[in-house]
Amino acid sequence: MTIGIPKALIYWKQPLFWESFFSGLGFEILLSPATNKEIVDIGVRVADPENCFSTKVFFGHLLWLDGKCDWIFVPRLKTNEEKLEYCPKFFGLPDLAKLLAKTPILTETFDERKEKFGRTLEKLGKKLNKNKKEIKNALEAALRERKNEGQDFFKKIQSKKPKIILISHPYNLYDDYVNLKMKEKLEKLGIDPVFIDEVPNPIRQLADQNENWPKFHWEFGKEIMEKTSEFLKYDVAGVIEISSFQCGCDTVLKEFVEKVVKANRVPFLYLLIDEQTGEAGLQTRLEAFIDTLH
Amino acid sequence: MKKPIITFARWGNYTIAFKTLFEQLGLEVIPPEKTNSETVAAGAKIAPEMFCFPMKVTLGNYLPALERGANTIFMIQNVGGSCRQRYYGVIQEKVLKDAGHDITLLDFRATPRDIYRKIKEITGASFWQILKTVRFSLRELRLIEKIEKMAQFYRPREIKKGTTDRTLQESLLKIEELKEEKAFPKLKKEVLKSFFGIPIEKNKKTPKVALIGEIYTVCDPAINFDVESKLGKEGIEVYREMDLTYHIKKLIFPWKDWIIQRKINPYLGSTVGGHGRDAIYEMLHYVEKGFDGIIHLLPFGCMPEVTIRPILEKIHLESGIPFLSLSLDEQVAEAGINTRLEAFVDVVKNHHEYKIS
Repeated sequence: MTIGIPKALIYWKQPLFWESFFSGLGFEILLSPATNKEIVDIGVRVADPENCFSTKVFFGHLLWLDGKCDWIFVPRLKTNEEKLEYCPKFFGLPDLAKLLAKTPILTETFDERKEKFGRTLEKLGKKLNKNKKEIKNALEAALRERKNEGQDFFKKIQSKKPKIILISHPYNLYDDYVNLKMKEKLEKLGIDPVFIDEVPNPIRQLADQNENWPKFHWEFGKEIMEKTSEFLKYDVAGVIEISSFQCGCDTVLKEFVEKVVKANRVPFLYLLIDEQTGEAGLQTRLEAFIDTLH
Repeated sequence: MKKPIITFARWGNYTIAFKTLFEQLGLEVIPPEKTNSETVAAGAKIAPEMFCFPMKVTLGNYLPALERGANTIFMIQNVGGSCRQRYYGVIQEKVLKDAGHDITLLDFRATPRDIYRKIKEITGASFWQILKTVRFSLRELRLIEKIEKMAQFYRPREIKKGTTDRTLQESLLKIEELKEEKAFPKLKKEVLKSFFGIPIEKNKKTPKVALIGEIYTVCDPAINFDVESKLGKEGIEVYREMDLTYHIKKLIFPWKDWIIQRKINPYLGSTVGGHGRDAIYEMLHYVEKGFDGIIHLLPFGCMPEVTIRPILEKIHLESGIPFLSLSLDEQVAEAGINTRLEAFVDVVKNHHEYKIS
């Protein structure tokens, strides 16, 4: 039995986790390849034109897997362990995937307001005819694979080169085709890029609510805002926020990220990416931005 | 503290009821400007570029009122769960303050208890006074919704084109001028009588089209380029379930959501925020009822409606019902909408005739 996992969008929320979980259960894994032009083209053709770019890329990956495996895994992520919601576009993904793909979709609703993560995994296991013990072992093995966060940050922050923080969702940061090799481009320009994920979580502030931004009900909203105020304590040359075209959540988030960053007198650049972004245009904007840093 | 002079988010014809609510509580009110191309442009100019359209529209409506001296804005948050509407208040506050307006934005969650507390805090009115005022504005609201529905029925059947629209406008003006609840029953009778007086062809068979989609764009004729009236004049009877009462009812009685979910389960397994599920539910309902067309209205890039649009398109392909989806934003021109509506009207009429024969 082969389970296909689209390497886009929700995959990047927990990279490596789902692969090791399913291979721990004894399934073969088919991962879609790194995003390329062909995949983006397929996605753009089938998706709703007003949907966000990241979702279009996701559908491209989904259709690449279609027919190549027995199941495609598309979880319905609703809330995380902090009981904060994911993007509302994730809620409908399995249903939209069912409309597009002919291969059966393997799905389960992960809503930690209603039940614990482990319990949902057991339900998922039932669909695959696996018992509780097998699920538990696979889960533990998969959790061990998670990488340690926060270690690189302190090493990077001490380097002599100017540092730029890249703020975005993991599916934009780690997908090199989607963000047009932003990391590589910055490195060539003599900059040390630091992803927002690498910034360590701040120690819980005494006051739960900060007056600079509203209480977000999105998990990434809270995380990004907290991390933003955390890295501003260090010597940072500039901040770049990357956002997919038509990303609804980012329009809200950007206003507050910009406010906080600019209040600290740190240069801020907001970049929108979509299927039509030209590399030359991006290069020019990056160069111009870096010239303003010195 | 300076005296609060209230303005609030404009919402189609319901604005009248909102205005009554604040005025009867003894607050000074400067109603928001009517939506027109200038207010929309002014709002879009200072709003974040990619934000959804209703936010830009309401922002544009505040601006003239602020210039005339309003300093407090009422905004309801969380109209439908997971979508961006939750952040309208905070964003509008930020944007307006950045633009140099000194305002207080009263942003509250739309539960009756919250609204009650906030109103009490600002006005100092007694419980009975608030209750009476709320009842009065709800009665007005019901009447407005009723005459909107009547207009939908009368428009395709009227003998002299334009009578219904004129009656509707006159009635709305009368309701707006009403100052006391005592005079309400008389006014209601008068308004209904004027509608019954419209000469119509009684037994005319008309094609039926339903409006579904995002609540703000569906309900505000100034935003959706008066789709209802345009279709009505073409001899099409328009239906729409979505209105303010529907929304308030859903807030108070949550089981409507469960009924909706049960019906749409084969298509969508969860909420997607806003009124995403309702659109699918309504479309399935209208297909069963044998309607001749569906128009889906949404602000450009609305997260819930965009997510469910492929599902609506699938229902359209399965059932063969004519379907038109219109995304609205500040760059949409009326001429473009008219062309698409005209083409759609032809499709609907053909569908209707084909069904009869």
